[in-house]
Amino acid sequence: MIKIQFFSLVRLLIKQEATEVPWVEGETVQSVLDKTQAQIATPFLHKLLNEEGVAHTGTIILVNRKNILHLNGLKTPIADDDVLAFFPPGAGG
Amino acid sequence: MNKAWKGKLLRVDLTEGTCKVEALNEEWANDFIGGRGLGSKYFTEEVSPEVEPMSPENNLIMATGPLTGTYGAANGRYMVITKSPLTGTIACSNSGGYFPSELKYAGFDMIIFEGKSEHPVYLQIRDGKAELVGAVHLWGMSTNDTEDAILSEFHGDAKVASIGLAGEVGVHFAGIINDKHRAAGRSGVGMVMGSKNLKAVAVRGTGGVKIANPKAYREAALDTYATLKENPVTGEGLPALGTAVLVNVMNQNGGLPTRNAQSGTFEAAEDISGEALVSGELRRIKSCMGCIISCGRVTKITDPRYVGEGEGPEYETLWALGAACGISDMPAIIKANYYCNEYGMDPITLGSTIGCAMEMFEKGIISEEEIGMSLNFGDGDAMVKLTEMTGKGEGFGKKIGLGSYRLADSYGVPELSMSVKKLEFPAYDPRHVQGMGLGYATSNRGACHVRGYINSAETLGLPEKLDPEATEGKAGVLKVFQDYTAAIDSAGVCLFTTFAMGIPQLANFCNAANGTDLNDAGILEIGDRIYNLERMFNLKAGIDPSQDKLPKRMLEEPLPDGPSKGNVSKLPEMLPDYYEVRGWGSDGIPTEEKLQSLGLA
Ligand code: SF4
Repeated sequence: MIKIQFFSLVRLLIKQEATEVPWVEGETVQSVLDKTQAQIATPFLHKLLNEEGVAHTGTIILVNRKNILHLNGLKTPIADDDVLAFFPPGAGG
Repeated sequence: MNKAWKGKLLRVDLTEGTCKVEALNEEWANDFIGGRGLGSKYFTEEVSPEVEPMSPENNLIMATGPLTGTYGAANGRYMVITKSPLTGTIACSNSGGYFPSELKYAGFDMIIFEGKSEHPVYLQIRDGKAELVGAVHLWGMSTNDTEDAILSEFHGDAKVASIGLAGEVGVHFAGIINDKHRAAGRSGVGMVMGSKNLKAVAVRGTGGVKIANPKAYREAALDTYATLKENPVTGEGLPALGTAVLVNVMNQNGGLPTRNAQSGTFEAAEDISGEALVSGELRRIKSCMGCIISCGRVTKITDPRYVGEGEGPEYETLWALGAACGISDMPAIIKANYYCNEYGMDPITLGSTIGCAMEMFEKGIISEEEIGMSLNFGDGDAMVKLTEMTGKGEGFGKKIGLGSYRLADSYGVPELSMSVKKLEFPAYDPRHVQGMGLGYATSNRGACHVRGYINSAETLGLPEKLDPEATEGKAGVLKVFQDYTAAIDSAGVCLFTTFAMGIPQLANFCNAANGTDLNDAGILEIGDRIYNLERMFNLKAGIDPSQDKLPKRMLEEPLPDGPSKGNVSKLPEMLPDYYEVRGWGSDGIPTEEKLQSLGLA
């Protein structure tokens, strides 16, 4: 299984902190995002990606706590038992 | 031609008890914009770098920017400039709320306080007129009560900035609180105000701010308004979750300094997160004057141990009174934050100092007897108690009131203070975010996040994502963040606009408001000028480049956890690059040529 954690506006929107989706061979961040959305009634992908499916500036997606922008972006391969964290753009100080 | 500067400053001689109105130096205003830059220019021209911070010879300046009190973004800031009793560096602490704009509406760009009053006084300003009045009856009061008392005796619509008990009893990190919940928080500016026997400044102004080119200004304002509204951070994220959204962000990324920075992740981060605040104590959101972002949090606690209402906590507070002390007790953190506002103290230095004391207690360096209670990491009740004792200057609280460096140094373990130039670093572990470490080491007021928030790029990906663990190129990027920030602070605009608003938009605002002709390079050059001016003051004050460093823990103890596990700060790799991009000598001292190019020689 793949563990998904939702943060910030996504969590407030879908009123859910976490979920799990089954892992299959060839899984990537993109396929996990699609699977997760299919399993959750409230649309949330727009908080993370734009209309072209590209991550918004400031969206943070972590795979095992590493930002996918320093891995292989949405094509980053996902292994069984990986943990993904989704943060829409946010800031503070 | 009209300009957004009022063209007047108020000089208050506390020793003589006089208030005089002076014309603002226009040449300096053009060279330094206003606020942090212009205030620092006046300060460094009038006060010796060797001045003893608590002596009457140290001035305290309250400075607005030309955009303070205008519309369009978040244009309502003021800055307090003095020599810091905590660090010995030049201090500049920034606050929003409503007080800063009211000062402009009353006809002044700036107030310079000199000398020391024999008895407690406060300053009343009403539409261009000012007088000092007795404040013996206010001495000892909380900032809340002081404000209420002044509103009832002076003017019901006045805006008030005051010190609480912490500023009176000599807490080295006492701040100045305005509008009850907004703080010029860091570096001990409230301790300097207390040393002058100045309890408060109350202002009532009914004028406005004139601008040079109203049509161009309106266009600049509409453009920025749209930018801030459409941007997901300033338009949605900050209003919904406030700055507290960062608790989970920094923890997940492995850069949340925990238990006096002994690790970079906190297992109970969720309990003290922005998300937890939304589902718990948050009652509504709130803005400073004219701000369309609304990051302010109005909160209420109903825990049987702690009740109360107020504002905050911010991210930094949740970290300092939470993760830095290993505390996951949200009501305790919120209560201590209320105390910080009421006593007038900086929660960052407070929390970091308590965290340092907790480590010293657990290592047997300080005894239970000495503290008057046990002080283990995670003990929220002890933290609240110690916060109160610190604000009142009682018992072991007196030692906490010295800040972590003096506390740890007095026990022979200065390396346990997580500070640079005696200012405690904020909520970003420099072993994870390398650029932030360089920023802490080179900030002119000691370790600070709001002097060059490169974490925006390193963690948040704004305006673009940089690898937090990389060092190459960080010096150049940090310099841009530092210089842009100096210009933003000088204009009187809230730093949070910069998550969306670029340098050209700030230039448009300044030009339309003041009739100037600044471009991006001109804005950054002014920032560079301010940075060098502050640096030169510090060098002359004896803060030499050997102080551009980080605590030993950051350089020698690898992060034990999280995605950056095994990393230390690579400051020594970045510092020479930084000196070079600044145009300084390899010894970290600005060259004559550099100073001449900025008109500072
Ligand atoms: S963004 Fe927050 S701190 Fe800045 S002006 Fe607006 S409400 Fe005040």
